Amino acid sequence: MNADDWLRAFAAELYQRRVGGDAARHVVAEAATHLREGGGDPWLVFGSPQAYAAAIVESIGTAPGPRPGPVRLHARGITKRYGRQVVLRDASLTVRAGQIAAVVGANGCGKSTFLRICAGLVSPDAGEVTVSGRLGYCPQQGGTADFLLPDEHFVLVGAGQGVPRGPARQAGRAAARQLGWDAGNAVLARHLSGGTRQKLNLTMSTLAQPDVLLLDEPYQGFDQGSYVDLWDQLTRLRDEGRAIVVVTHLLNQLDRVDVVLDLTPAHQGGRS
Amino acid sequence: MDSDRRGQWLRGVLDLCVLALLRDGESYGYQLAQSLDAAGVGPIQGGTLYPVLLRLQRTGLVTARWREGDSGPARKYYQLTDDGRAALRHGGNAWLAFVAPVTGIVTKGVDG
Amino acid sequence: MNRLVTVAEMTLRELARRRGVLLLLLLMPLTFWLIRRDSYVGQSVRALLLGISWAVSTAALFATSAARELEPRLRLTGYRPHHLYLGRMLGLWGLGLAISVPFFLLTVVDANNLRYGGIAVAMLCCVAVAAPFGMLIGALLPRELEGTLLLLTVVAMQMLLDPADAGAKLTPFWSSREIATWAVDHTDDGYLTRGSLHGLVVTVLLIVTVAGVFAVRLRRRRHLHHVPIA
Repeated sequence: MNADDWLRAFAAELYQRRVGGDAARHVVAEAATHLREGGGDPWLVFGSPQAYAAAIVESIGTAPGPRPGPVRLHARGITKRYGRQVVLRDASLTVRAGQIAAVVGANGCGKSTFLRICAGLVSPDAGEVTVSGRLGYCPQQGGTADFLLPDEHFVLVGAGQGVPRGPARQAGRAAARQLGWDAGNAVLARHLSGGTRQKLNLTMSTLAQPDVLLLDEPYQGFDQGSYVDLWDQLTRLRDEGRAIVVVTHLLNQLDRVDVVLDLTPAHQGGRS
Repeated sequence: MDSDRRGQWLRGVLDLCVLALLRDGESYGYQLAQSLDAAGVGPIQGGTLYPVLLRLQRTGLVTARWREGDSGPARKYYQLTDDGRAALRHGGNAWLAFVAPVTGIVTKGVDG
Repeated sequence: MNRLVTVAEMTLRELARRRGVLLLLLLMPLTFWLIRRDSYVGQSVRALLLGISWAVSTAALFATSAARELEPRLRLTGYRPHHLYLGRMLGLWGLGLAISVPFFLLTVVDANNLRYGGIAVAMLCCVAVAAPFGMLIGALLPRELEGTLLLLTVVAMQMLLDPADAGAKLTPFWSSREIATWAVDHTDDGYLTRGSLHGLVVTVLLIVTVAGVFAVRLRRRRHLHHVPIA
């Protein structure tokens, strides 16, 4: 494990211990500077990433506020069949305000279906979902209008909530900037690259300030930088007290999530 | 055994040492570690030093800001606050008052 | 109200940018007109009206298909189903009127001895019926190609059926044909009355059906309970 790996592991440990975004960034940067100037094996200089993160938490405490709050999404006993095939069997998930939940599992195990049931777009054969507050949903694809500009998407979403045009456009552009995207250009959605289009898709779902945010593989077409921006954004939203559900087949971000629902048929059900 | 004991002593007094080193001007983590080593306290690892600095910062005894050095990368520079100065005076005197009799007793024991 | 207008406006903006499709759609009524122009003015007027019906209903079909994935999420951001389908319909009616005006002027300039008021009413009927008709097909058929083929069948049938036939009254665009007869052949006012009534009834029926389909499709599902945050 070289210094970069150690720093990455350390950053992940801080995230998991809910050290706030800025505080974590500063501590990691300071450790990086120290290693650069002094050299040496990070395991000797700082100890294990876990131990050092624990020491940091003891010194500065965790970020205020982001402790999990009341339950925002409660899905229980969700069962869904398509014809003879059972896609979901008795799946349950509870997500609280200030938590990120990951729905994982092999292809075709019903991850998207589960999310669409939570969003109320598909009816299950059994089970119920309770959502507290506003619901936001980001579909895997097709959630944008080919022949509209990004600004027009923001206006459309804003009008749904009675937000006037100007403020809706500004809010949309601000939300897009959080993902490292300047949405002010007059480019039709159909001419946006796959990754940028996905950012538009995402921005639309966060624009309505949802209390529960459901994201279906939201990083498709993203490069590494956008991917990092996305997770920073999700962490920020979580720390603001939103409940977030991410459908993903990438497991390397699981250290940043609070709840995992594995829908792989062999061991169905939730664990946290 | 020896380094264990040194570690225990340090834990009780490292914050005072840092405050004392900052009395004459701001400094950053790596420089503080070098100063401590140069003064003969021995090598201080980052894993020991930075949590102390963060605690001092949280309790308002030092402030910190990121600044580009004259050469090299941006560093986090720490500065003593008025509260820090007062804590240094108070804690330093208490330490000296504690250490003097301990030195006396131990000296007698060693010499005898 | 604002939601309705916003959906209508975005529908218009989207369609206005699909220039290629729009041009091809406009080409059909124009070609119909030109082909029949030399023979008999009544034929060319009827062909023109069918062309307009075809253009508007196809545009409605495309607009509805394109919004298939978008609408559920708009529903989540605060739109009610009627905002979405009525807004879209308003936009399509607007588009229909906009493309009818030049064709109406074409008949005024290019043909004599017509009841021009009748032509205008017939065009209005085409537009009124075509928007919800195309939307309905777009909502019921999953893909644009299938919808287009179905529309083509309806338009062709409309063209071939004898309007006096009892069954012809069941076709959606019968009204415009009946009114056109009044406008071109100077028949008695019964044609105008029957045609207008037919247009009105068909439009209302289609709107109600579209409303039903959208209400079902965008309904709040029973398994999902919303609780406001205290």
